[in-house]
Amino acid sequence: MDNPEPTPAKRKKGLTKKLVLSMLLVGALPLIIGLLLAFYQGTQEIREVNGSSFEALATETARKLDLVMADEIARTALLTTDIQIIEKLEHTRDALSELTTQELALTLKQEQEAWNTKDADILQRILKGPFAEVLQKHVGGTFIDPGHPIPVITRSATRGLYITDHAGRVVASLDSDIPYLHREEAWWKGAFHNGVGQPYIGQIAFDSPRGVYTFTLALPIMDSLRYEAIGVLHRIYDAKEFFAPSIDIIRFGKTGHVMLIDSRGVVLSCPILPTGTTISDTSLIPLVTPLHAGWTPAPSDGHGGTAASIIGFAPLSNTNPITQISTGQTWHMFVWQSSGEVFAPIEHFFKWTAAFGLLGVILLVTLGYIAANRISAPIRRLQEAAQQIGRGEYREPLTLSTGDEIEELADEVNRMNQQLASQFAGLESQVELKTQEVKYLEESTIKILDNVPDPVLMIGPDEHIEYLNKASKEAFAVTNGEIIGTPLFQIFSLDPATQNRLKQEMHAVQVLEPPYSDNTNTKPSNTSLQDPLVPTNWAQSSANRQEIRINQRTFRYRWFGVQARPGRGPSAGLVLRDTTEESILQDRVIQGEKLASLGVLSAGIGHELNNPLVGVIGLGEAIQEETNPEQIKEYARGIVQHGKRMASVVRDFTGQSGKNLTEGQTLINLNELLEQSLTTVKDLFPSVPVDIQTHLGPIPSIQGKALELGQVFTNIITNAFQAMQQGGKLDISTETSGHDLEIRIKDTGPGIAATHLPRVFDPFFTTRGQGEGSGLGLTVAYRIINKLGGHIRMESEEKQGTTCLITLPVSNAHLAKERSTVS
Amino acid sequence: MIKIRGHRTGLSMLFLTTILMGTGFSSSLHAGESNSLKNLSPEKVADFIHAIVEADRQVYTTHIVKRMQEQGVVMAREDWENKNAIPLPAQFLHISSKLVAESGHGIRFRLISLWPIYRRNGPATDFERKALEQLSLNSDTPKRGIVSTGKKRLFQAIYADKAINDTCTTCHNSHPLSPKRDFRKGDLMGAIVITIPLED
Repeated sequence: MDNPEPTPAKRKKGLTKKLVLSMLLVGALPLIIGLLLAFYQGTQEIREVNGSSFEALATETARKLDLVMADEIARTALLTTDIQIIEKLEHTRDALSELTTQELALTLKQEQEAWNTKDADILQRILKGPFAEVLQKHVGGTFIDPGHPIPVITRSATRGLYITDHAGRVVASLDSDIPYLHREEAWWKGAFHNGVGQPYIGQIAFDSPRGVYTFTLALPIMDSLRYEAIGVLHRIYDAKEFFAPSIDIIRFGKTGHVMLIDSRGVVLSCPILPTGTTISDTSLIPLVTPLHAGWTPAPSDGHGGTAASIIGFAPLSNTNPITQISTGQTWHMFVWQSSGEVFAPIEHFFKWTAAFGLLGVILLVTLGYIAANRISAPIRRLQEAAQQIGRGEYREPLTLSTGDEIEELADEVNRMNQQLASQFAGLESQVELKTQEVKYLEESTIKILDNVPDPVLMIGPDEHIEYLNKASKEAFAVTNGEIIGTPLFQIFSLDPATQNRLKQEMHAVQVLEPPYSDNTNTKPSNTSLQDPLVPTNWAQSSANRQEIRINQRTFRYRWFGVQARPGRGPSAGLVLRDTTEESILQDRVIQGEKLASLGVLSAGIGHELNNPLVGVIGLGEAIQEETNPEQIKEYARGIVQHGKRMASVVRDFTGQSGKNLTEGQTLINLNELLEQSLTTVKDLFPSVPVDIQTHLGPIPSIQGKALELGQVFTNIITNAFQAMQQGGKLDISTETSGHDLEIRIKDTGPGIAATHLPRVFDPFFTTRGQGEGSGLGLTVAYRIINKLGGHIRMESEEKQGTTCLITLPVSNAHLAKERSTVS
Repeated sequence: MIKIRGHRTGLSMLFLTTILMGTGFSSSLHAGESNSLKNLSPEKVADFIHAIVEADRQVYTTHIVKRMQEQGVVMAREDWENKNAIPLPAQFLHISSKLVAESGHGIRFRLISLWPIYRRNGPATDFERKALEQLSLNSDTPKRGIVSTGKKRLFQAIYADKAINDTCTTCHNSHPLSPKRDFRKGDLMGAIVITIPLED
């Protein structure tokens, strides 16, 4: 709900986009994946094919070189089988064996010096002797074996050829630029092999006198029985010149070629790298120098390039056993082509396929866009129709002839449109009716409220006035337009304290209101909702009465809660009543009542005092005329008695007893006091036939004035006797009930009328005739009992009798006990 | 008679002792060393060596190469060093021959043939050639003789070497460098030459 709904335009683009994207995903993704896979597979296959080709080329070239080497060894070996040489060397061996070690050493030394000093004899013997001639013939190609002509290349690559004997001395040589003794040379030792004899191929090294890189072939010369070695044939080759004719001619593509390296990575021959150098990336050496043929993807080309490359390699299988046993080195063919050239076909293929792929994607997007539009256009029309129907606008039937599900959907929409149109017609009339009802209710409510004489206001949650009736406008002298929306306290000029109180009361009412709910089953609470116009007994609710003064006028008011409208905070209603006049009237009534009471009181007092006063006056007049002193005294006593009676009336009225609560108090036995009072009253009414019954229980004494309590009991019992002039039954009982003492005085007189019962304790209220009672007896009794912390109650039913119930607190009794103990 | 040369005496003794122990003659050697040595003719020494060499090659051929190949473990082939294979029986003999020569006792043995695959294995001397020719007529009797190179004299004994199984004939009949391709099992293929130095 919170998400902003996409606009129709966005939605339209969204569908087309999605369709195009889907087509792209379905069409282009497999295309791209296919291209990548093809590229990967192509690369792999080209690698495989090239690698295998390189391996085959390396193997073939290695085999060729093996044959060249084997042939070279075989041709050179022919020299070692020359019978003249063998016989000469056998002879030399035999001659040397006859020398002692010292003689041999001396001879060798002398001969070496002669050789070093270019002694003519020795030079003649070695360079021009018969064996030298054999060597020259061999190199010159005129050797005796017609089946093995010496290739020109081999001849031209030869840089040295000489024969050494059993002691390592040079016996014959083509040139003199060599040492004389070779017994300590590695090649000599290797080929002689302690007389066993074996071929020796030396590793490539720079030959300083000759200024080229050379390698050595040394073959043992065995004796005629092939029993033991008797000398060594030594041949030095220019490595480059020897191998180049076999290797350098093999070129393919722009960069493809083969090269010969040894297991140290030193180049023996390469069309690009100079002989004697080591390949640039030594990490390649272990990769390309195993003792089997193969190919490998390599991180570099060994020629200084760092591009990944493919290298084919193959060992010289037949030559390597000899080089291995001779120097520990092995020789390997190395076939290489630059990676750019190797992978050129696949890159070419990839570029073209990528171009076609891109073209395909563009076509896909274009055609996809057209197709998507064809699909989305009718959907858009459907959407617009649905929107119109949604807004309640009846529209013409939609005609789509796509011949697929969209057309069916359009038919459905048309049907829905018709159904909705028919249903809307009924609904509209109902809505109109309801609207009219609501309008009527609103108007009637306003009219009712305007006819209410009291001001009624509606206050919003922000304390602004939402409504006020006619009475309000009149009371506050405002017009509707001015007041709606203004803050309440702008028109109620009140002090801040009162404002706060009103706000609190208003918010309390608002909070009490349950929130508005659409659920009609939720009935508002009866306690909080009430009709503000129900007449209220304002006088009876005086305890909760709330008043405010506005513009020198007094208003009583009451808040009531109002259900909030949907989406708005709760409102509060305020009903006011102008009580200014009422208050004045009530004050007057109270004043009048006060005056009336004073009149009754004066009359009562007058009446009570009048009788004894008449007696006093009468006795005074009688004294004036009486001479008998005894009679005068008698009259005087009468005057005194009447005076005491008047004093008693005055004392009762003024209520002196309230002045000193505890003064003159003694411990009183109520039972005794009751009996005394009963006796006194019985004497006053000797002729009244009353059946007296007493049930005086064990009750504690209480603190009080005997005279006062006696007056209470006397007044009550007197009332009972007076009520039972025609006879009856008087029942007096005392008992302890909880913390109270209960004294019950019950008569069987005519009872007190219900209308009189509430007033029996009022002063001067009496049902007897003038002069029969003061109307103060029960008033006095009430005051005395009240003073002692007790209660007095009259219970009566007409024609059933009256019961006077007096309760006095036992705590009073305890208190009395404690006090008596202390005192 | 063999006269062991100067400083090599000890080593030669050890070699001979090893051979004789292997052939069951150690007890007689120990029983009367000096007399036995005087009576030990080069013919006998050559016979001993031939017996050992033949036995060794037979064991290698029958119990190693044949079984290995039958079980597919490893093949015997000429370029064994480069192909993860084992040597052919003839190569086995060459290798052991080279090791014996390198040991420095002076005794050599090698294979020769009138139809060698490699020319170096042809007869080196007329004596060897004649011996081969004679053996082709009568292979049971070895040819013995004293030969010399310069002043050095040596005793040679040449024993017939026959095709002991089909493997030998198959290989020689199919090898591109082989000059003879109709060997059959049991045919004389060449000879084993045992050379022992003699000292005057």
